[in-house]
Amino acid sequence: MLDARLREHLTGFAEVVVAIVAGMVIGGLVMVIGGYNPVNAYYQLFVPSLTTGYGVEMTLSFATPIILTALTFAVGVRAGLFNIGAEGQMYMGALGAVLFGAISIPSILYLPLEFIVAAVLGMIWGIIAGILKAYRGVNEVVSTIMLNWIAYWIVESMRVYVIPNPVDASKTVSVPPAGRLPLLVEGTELSAAIIISILVLAFTYFLLWKTAVGYEIRAVGYNPLASKYGGISVRRVALYSFIIGGFTAGIAGFCEVAGRPPSYAITTGLSNLVGLGFDGLTVSLIGYNHPVGILLASIFIGAMKAGSRNMQIYARVPLEMVQTVQGLIIIALSIPGLLRIISRKIGGVR
Amino acid sequence: MPSENIVEMRGIVKVYPDGTVALRGVDFDLREGEIHGLLGENGAGKTTLMKILAGVLKPTRGVIKVHGRRVVFSNPSDALKLGIGMVAQYPALVPVFTAGENIFLGLSRRMVSRERLVKLMNETGLKVELEAVAESLPMGVRQKIEVLKMLYRGVRVLILDEPTTNLTPVETEELFATLKKLRDQGVSVVFISHKLKEALAITDRITVLRRGVVAGVVETSRTNPEELAKLMVGREILFEIKKKSVKPGGEVLTVEDLWVRGDGGEWAVRGVSLAVRKGEIFGVAGVEGNGQKELVEAVTGLRRVEKGRVVFLGRDVTNSDPQELYKLGLSHIPEDRVAMGLIVNMSIIENAILGLHRSREFVNNFGIFKNRRMVEHTLKLIKEYEIVAGNLNNPARSLSGGNQQRLVLARELSKNPSLIVASNPTRGLDVASTEYIRRRLVDLRDQGKAILLVSADLDEILELSDRIAVMYEGRFMGVLDSKEADVRLIGLMMGGYTLEQARGMRVV
Amino acid sequence: MNWSMIWQLFVQTLNASTPLLLAATGEIIGESAGIANIGLEGIMLISAFMAVYADSAFANPLLGVLAGLATGLLLGVVHGYISAYMKGNQIVTGTGVNLFAAGFVAYSIIAFFHVAGYYTIDLSLTVPKIYGVSPISISSLIIAVLAYYLLFKTQIGLSIRACGENPEAADSVGVRVELVQTLTSSIAGLLTGLAGAFLSIDWNASITKQMSAGRGFIALATVNFANWNPLLGIAGSFLFGFFWVLGEWIKNIGWLKQLIPVDLFNTIPYLATLVVVAGLIGRSRPPKYVGVPYKRE
Repeated sequence: MLDARLREHLTGFAEVVVAIVAGMVIGGLVMVIGGYNPVNAYYQLFVPSLTTGYGVEMTLSFATPIILTALTFAVGVRAGLFNIGAEGQMYMGALGAVLFGAISIPSILYLPLEFIVAAVLGMIWGIIAGILKAYRGVNEVVSTIMLNWIAYWIVESMRVYVIPNPVDASKTVSVPPAGRLPLLVEGTELSAAIIISILVLAFTYFLLWKTAVGYEIRAVGYNPLASKYGGISVRRVALYSFIIGGFTAGIAGFCEVAGRPPSYAITTGLSNLVGLGFDGLTVSLIGYNHPVGILLASIFIGAMKAGSRNMQIYARVPLEMVQTVQGLIIIALSIPGLLRIISRKIGGVR
Repeated sequence: MPSENIVEMRGIVKVYPDGTVALRGVDFDLREGEIHGLLGENGAGKTTLMKILAGVLKPTRGVIKVHGRRVVFSNPSDALKLGIGMVAQYPALVPVFTAGENIFLGLSRRMVSRERLVKLMNETGLKVELEAVAESLPMGVRQKIEVLKMLYRGVRVLILDEPTTNLTPVETEELFATLKKLRDQGVSVVFISHKLKEALAITDRITVLRRGVVAGVVETSRTNPEELAKLMVGREILFEIKKKSVKPGGEVLTVEDLWVRGDGGEWAVRGVSLAVRKGEIFGVAGVEGNGQKELVEAVTGLRRVEKGRVVFLGRDVTNSDPQELYKLGLSHIPEDRVAMGLIVNMSIIENAILGLHRSREFVNNFGIFKNRRMVEHTLKLIKEYEIVAGNLNNPARSLSGGNQQRLVLARELSKNPSLIVASNPTRGLDVASTEYIRRRLVDLRDQGKAILLVSADLDEILELSDRIAVMYEGRFMGVLDSKEADVRLIGLMMGGYTLEQARGMRVV
Repeated sequence: MNWSMIWQLFVQTLNASTPLLLAATGEIIGESAGIANIGLEGIMLISAFMAVYADSAFANPLLGVLAGLATGLLLGVVHGYISAYMKGNQIVTGTGVNLFAAGFVAYSIIAFFHVAGYYTIDLSLTVPKIYGVSPISISSLIIAVLAYYLLFKTQIGLSIRACGENPEAADSVGVRVELVQTLTSSIAGLLTGLAGAFLSIDWNASITKQMSAGRGFIALATVNFANWNPLLGIAGSFLFGFFWVLGEWIKNIGWLKQLIPVDLFNTIPYLATLVVVAGLIGRSRPPKYVGVPYKRE
């Protein structure tokens, strides 16, 4: 007789696997209709990024920011909210970090200040949605999406008018070498950012499970009524979760600026940032909104992103296919008991 | 003169998915053209039985026959097609629709005829303003709408669940007149109630249910209140718990002329005053739905007090936050442990500190949990309250109902409160846990704590209380000392008679 | 300001508001029955692509419109079925659709048109206008009025709204709640599909991978603003449409351009939406059971 919790974890894991398989199968169909070979595509997508040294390094590098944006969503869900504002919060964080490419300060201050300003801007952006929700009852789905777009245009206009790169029009100024995170492996994109990312993950885990604040967040997410009876302020919890979510997303922005060679900047149309928030959402959903799951899921999605270029080059499938499959996986995940439904149709007897 | 049985139910058993047994083999007959009362306390099974007849629930076992033919209902509209319809205690109307829209809901355009409806209203005497919006209407009118809704669809078996719950005396009179008219027209009415007075006034026959079985079936003209009360409530109980004779101390909780609104905007508590003293258990008896829930919520800071005062240890705490009240020494054992008392997806340890989770005892200056202290605290509670738990990190839903309630009790009492508000504390529990929790409450009283006990279980009230109030339609029908209280008196008060009236009925 | 400018302003606002109105009207119908679809953004995007695809493949804008309608209908049915019968988490489903759409459209532009990011079609392939106004725009107004009539003046509308306000009451009189919810969801998808087709082969003569640009979410805000009444939805979509146009117009005001980076004006529609929604509290009342799957016993 397995422990009740363990059995739950295993069922959850199985459900996720089913959803992933379902998403990939339908994605494969889409590829077939487009005239591509899905088997080759998936091979190119996963195998090199997980089996070669360079591939693994790139996988980890791509996993870095999405761990953080996944946390944004996860902390929201744990509080009973749907915070899909990681995109905007991250853009603002990246802005905060990249501003230091235009300022002259003592070398040793660059990294810490970039980190702090990125975090603060992210938190501010997050708390706007939090205040709107807690005090005006604004649905956070609509507000965070609006804020995402507003942040996008703010940062984009700053990119063009305030901090453009005099040498290269396709991006902003780069942060100076003193403001860059050291690379872990020369010649790859894997920087110390992954360490920061994992530290923040651990910190969030600690916060959620080992402190009073995290306890209140989880309690409200599970049962707002009993939480109220227990003296917890639901409004305050909403604000906490948006602040924490903004923090992690802001750090994601920092990592993409200070830890992303070769540009160490924000590129045109925020192209190096766009989509990372929603990747994080996928990671969090696949990872059951739990830090351990997020870590595993981030490697899965990270591998996909690392392999997407391979897939484009060798299987000729446009790399946007990755996002397509992600969307399908999420749709599959929204169906409760998908595992049960499919096993009933296939096997009949369990 | 005996008439045809339009409905026959045989051997109905109902076990809910969570294991609760609501009905243990009930037989029920309904004749054409009769008003049949279905009487019983909370949990007796009356609503469940009728929900099965109306197609809302499926029976676990048993047979239903309509006009002598066996039927199986998969949903309410199957029952409607055979002319059986139920009006729930809180009418299932669409609040934003008008009366007319509610009555015509789901019918095709062809079947919608204002003329036919007006004719029906005249025939039955049930007049409602068709353009009025349902949520603005008083409960009495909402009920009329529900009845019209059923009758318009040709219902011949009309089930009314506690129809007079929210009616004024005048509205009740009107309802009764209508029911009599319907009966004379051949409609059969099932009148579910806990109110003896009314059942005696309107019904032809009465079936009394008690704890899921039929306690008796009587002809209304040949019975009396005492007999019914006895059937409803059962045998005289032996006081199993020896209570120390304690002299009660000063007042801990005083409630003065409290008026509180219910969820629908109507008055749920109408001018209740009470005082609970140190070393005393003050019991509030009464069938659920008479304002007890709202009273408890008002006292514990979870519902607004519109008029009146709540005074706790000398301080006016009317409309204070729950957290302030807890700091002052109030603890609350809520009536629904799963929805209100515990967060069942969190671990046992985490539930053991709910409400205490910010105290310096468990949290250091940085807000980080002192895990060892929490575990110690939980172990202490488990030992002291004899809770059977496996791994302390398992979710609270892995505990049995009895152990869950013990956990809630343990946690609340570990706050060392001056006042304990306990709401149906042994509902749905096994005998051993029930016994245990009751004994605990008496111990606390002996130690000088003040306890406000609100319970729909009369045995419990009689066993534990020093003084007893009976709540009916938002008011106290009377407050009596436990020495004077007996099943009969309380049963009558629960049925709507005041203390004076009930005393006066002692001699037959 | 002369008449020609006013007419221009009106037509531009009309264009900007059409997709909002269509999507909002559809979503009002869907939410009135209790199903919330936050995937409108994605449906709009995919339908926009399908419309362009069919239009260029058959050189026939009418087929393009039909393709858009069909795509929206299909996606609406899927969302409705998952939400009503499978009791899925409606917000997660909608989010999944949005992500799928973003990837699928970007992928498809490359796969089928062999260009990256956006694809333009010849103006001759767009939907023909009547005095400069699109027939789809006119239809959107008519559809909104019809939707109002359906929801508030017919027995069917009564059943629909009952599913969203009190599904138990609807169930008890024999209304088939899940079926109604799936059908209304399909209508929501259908109309959003038309909105998508309008975006690509009517108003803009192109398909870009970010075509919907948040309109699906602004449509949700419009539903809220309209208090789930299609007639107010007309007002709401014009209001938000106006803000889109305002952003563009302001960009042309010379002296402002010197002061403020022009891209910032792109935030106007989103800011306006936020402000309007923040001001709505207490004034609008959603169907009581919207977003909550109906469960018996």
